[in-house]
Amino acid sequence: MSRKKTKQVDTSLRQFIKDLGYISGGTALLATTPWLQSFTPDTAKEIKNEKARIGFIGTGSRGMYNMQAVLAIQHAEIVALCDIYPPNLKQATELCPNAKTYTDYRKLLESPDIDGVIISTPLYLHAPMTLQALDAGKHVYCEKAMALTMEECKAIYEAYQKTNKVLYFCMQRMFDEKYIKGMQMIHSGLIGDIVGERCYWFRNHDWRRPVPSPELERQINWRLYWEYSAGLMTELASHQLEVCCWAMQMVPESVIGTGDIAHWKDGREVYDSVNLVYSYSNGVKINYESLISNKFNGMEDQILGNKGTMNLATGIYYLEEAAGKKRSGIEQLIDQIGNKVYASVPAAGPSWRPETKGSYTPYNILEGEFQVNDGLSMIGALKDGSDEILSAFCQACITGEKGKNIVEEAYLATLLCLLGNQAIAEERKVTFPEEYKIPYMKF
Amino acid sequence: MKDIVISAKRVKKEATILLACFTMAFIINVASIVIYKTSWLEIFTQIGYVIIITLTLYLVVAFIRLIIYLIYRLTKR
Repeated sequence: MSRKKTKQVDTSLRQFIKDLGYISGGTALLATTPWLQSFTPDTAKEIKNEKARIGFIGTGSRGMYNMQAVLAIQHAEIVALCDIYPPNLKQATELCPNAKTYTDYRKLLESPDIDGVIISTPLYLHAPMTLQALDAGKHVYCEKAMALTMEECKAIYEAYQKTNKVLYFCMQRMFDEKYIKGMQMIHSGLIGDIVGERCYWFRNHDWRRPVPSPELERQINWRLYWEYSAGLMTELASHQLEVCCWAMQMVPESVIGTGDIAHWKDGREVYDSVNLVYSYSNGVKINYESLISNKFNGMEDQILGNKGTMNLATGIYYLEEAAGKKRSGIEQLIDQIGNKVYASVPAAGPSWRPETKGSYTPYNILEGEFQVNDGLSMIGALKDGSDEILSAFCQACITGEKGKNIVEEAYLATLLCLLGNQAIAEERKVTFPEEYKIPYMKF
Repeated sequence: MKDIVISAKRVKKEATILLACFTMAFIINVASIVIYKTSWLEIFTQIGYVIIITLTLYLVVAFIRLIIYLIYRLTKR
């Protein structure tokens, strides 16, 4: 799709909130997106002269992406960097020459000069680092997914309930303008009742990174091994399952699925192809598919309603009624006569005839030009909400105000991913365990 | 080679039938606009469909006339 456009906007959180219509009376907006409640223009004014002192744990590709975003934030400064891989640390030091460097994150956490830490490390390190950082009295921003195991997720969730520190996970779609407005439209009934959710993420990339020496294979290509990663589910699906729950305002109660190494048979352990069906208690399903050996279909988070379809990733929606109206009267008459003729075939009713895709009029969720993420970058995409969530975290480091719903959304999304992997591994239907349910969304 | 002569009466008759078919097709289009509550601009924009329906009706009428003619010829013998 050639709709990839760039909107030149101010990167500040204030402008973001303004774009969302907060200033022109966004009460309804804040009711549906409570995590934005703290970011009023008044708060932005209050912290204008303050800076959050941020330490970076993990300065690899995603860490560098986050660092560049934080450097552009007025109310933050990077004061410390930590990485165990010297080339990454060197690269980060070049970007932030005044920051103190560490090779042991525990030493970084001991520093009293750091308000918050941004953790951009492999998945298996998320839980220990997050828990220790909270224990050390730091505000924490951690990349998704929440953790490698359900036990770790629960431990983080419980630690968060007890701490007065801020905890963010990189659920950047919660700060993506087109997702927020799209959700408002869904919840206002624009596409009717949600009857299905269909998410997919297709890439054609082996997920490998060059390894300077063989002993570093697992350290650098950690995404490919179960010991460090949960594969496609936590790396890609976690964002999309979060969106599904957000749209549905419910959590699926069970999942079935299948996964394989279909193409990249290069010694990796994690699947390169997954297909899952998550079921809500009301019968609605999430169909999830991901494949990293064909990128034709790209990435999409599609919410299907009985009155329309919301393609959140590309920021477009389609209405069922509009599709019907587009045909002229005489074409509709011809269609109706045709339907009657075919329906009279004694072998079957009208349902036997295939309904090929009709022509739908696309409507943009946002007015004007906006950024569409093609989903191909492993690091991150411009204007996908990452900058805004980082800015929100830095602001929260100053105000100390917890971000509503962010941890809960990350917790549930991660658990759904891990349950999906469990369903694939055990080749059975897996239900959401009672002991891991939290008082947030209904099941 | 024998010349085929089409009389003025015949031309007038065929033109009348064609006009009747066009009127019928036009009415179908108007009826569709009313039934499906679409734009009245379709009177002009859907003229292609009207012409196709006109020709289809004309062919159907011609076929019926041919059958009637053949039956008439057979019963006359």
